[in-house]
Amino acid sequence: MSLDYEPRIIGFLCNWCAFAGADLAGTTRTTYPSNIRIIRVPCSGRVDPLLVLKAFQQGADAVLIAGCHPGDCHYVQGNYYARRRFALLRQFLDYLGIEKERLRLEWVSASEGRKFSRLVTEMTQEVARLGPRKDTVKRPARQAPVLRPLGQEEAAPALKGGAAAPAKSGGE
Amino acid sequence: MVAVENITQLIQEKARELLSSGQVELVIGYQRASDGVTARPAFVRKAEDAGKLIFDQTCTHNLGKYAIEHRGKSLAIVAKACDTFGINVLIQEKQIVREKTYVIGINCPGVVESSFGETGDRLQYRCQICQEHAPAVFDYIVGDPILEKPLDFDPYAKVKELEALPQEERIAFWEKHFDRCIRCYACRNACPQCYCTECVVEQIDPNWVGAPIQVPEKQIFHVIRAFHLAGRCIGCNECERVCPVGIPLSLLNMKFSLEVEQQFGYKPGRDPEVCAPLATYQPDEDLGIGG
Repeated sequence: MSLDYEPRIIGFLCNWCAFAGADLAGTTRTTYPSNIRIIRVPCSGRVDPLLVLKAFQQGADAVLIAGCHPGDCHYVQGNYYARRRFALLRQFLDYLGIEKERLRLEWVSASEGRKFSRLVTEMTQEVARLGPRKDTVKRPARQAPVLRPLGQEEAAPALKGGAAAPAKSGGE
Repeated sequence: MVAVENITQLIQEKARELLSSGQVELVIGYQRASDGVTARPAFVRKAEDAGKLIFDQTCTHNLGKYAIEHRGKSLAIVAKACDTFGINVLIQEKQIVREKTYVIGINCPGVVESSFGETGDRLQYRCQICQEHAPAVFDYIVGDPILEKPLDFDPYAKVKELEALPQEERIAFWEKHFDRCIRCYACRNACPQCYCTECVVEQIDPNWVGAPIQVPEKQIFHVIRAFHLAGRCIGCNECERVCPVGIPLSLLNMKFSLEVEQQFGYKPGRDPEVCAPLATYQPDEDLGIGG
């Protein structure tokens, strides 16, 4: 599969179902795009909307939350709460300008390696089609500070006649 | 403005009675501000001071915030209809004890737009769209019941207008507004439903919302605050009123109110016995998510 744009997807997978499902996809050698970065969480109910916002802020193109099917939650009701929470958040993100497609909540059981693989493939394609995010939640890339031994700091460049100060040399 | 002198008188009499009988140790109400025309919160501890209490259409503050600050005390609080919804939310969330809180409810004629030294006849937008002028919880009620008239416009019109804009314009709209935020947290401090002892935006470990005063950080702050108020915001609009840079915060909160109403058919603060929508669930509901 070739894409014009390689999206970065953050996946919050519940330890008991979805993570085991992803594991099964691996052990059965079912392939799925490497665009997903998986974070294991105890339960889909653990996923605070703040985690999702933070992922978006750090530049994620999409966020997937996967948990147990309704009725199968290890903690009995975590996924039900998650469902209500993200049903609201999804609408709200759309209101701010982050497309609904970029936040998904899915049910993946421990035996659904294939479903997980299909889901990630589908989501990657969909998000690639949307392209990079256009909203302002994303934090602009920061230049890494260049560390020099003491006493060898470069002199700050002189300001040029009232114009905006040029960025201090450094970075890549 | 609507004549409300008798309300002032009734509040004063009640406050005097409650304080002198020792039933409450504090009455939270309104008094005339130093500019002589608007109102400010008043804290009356002695029966002889009850005369400074007032009520008129400039009494805009939601005093529920002070009920939390003085939690544990037996107190009386003057509350407009919408403020009583906030009090109900606080009772529901076990932040204040109903038995220790004497609510002087007001059949509220609505409050007007005012700023320091100035006041007018124009009702605040939240009062223009208000359809519940009667308090939901009270021990004593003042003011004549107000006839509820059906609205001839959609209260959520502003939200729907923004929703209908193309994505780029919505992004530009919010960027313009969040860019102006100075992170003074006045919105949070004025909000009676924001009572966490350690707010998530000020938490250092883990540091979820960073210190930089940049749009992404400010946006996260506003979004997470709006989310924390989802299904709890009673639309008193204090946040927007106190915002020094005029960010239309009601558009954030009303979006959630609209969603909560549409998806769960819930309005906060009407009945403290009904569970809040995000604290409960229906096993078989279809919310268009999860599959």
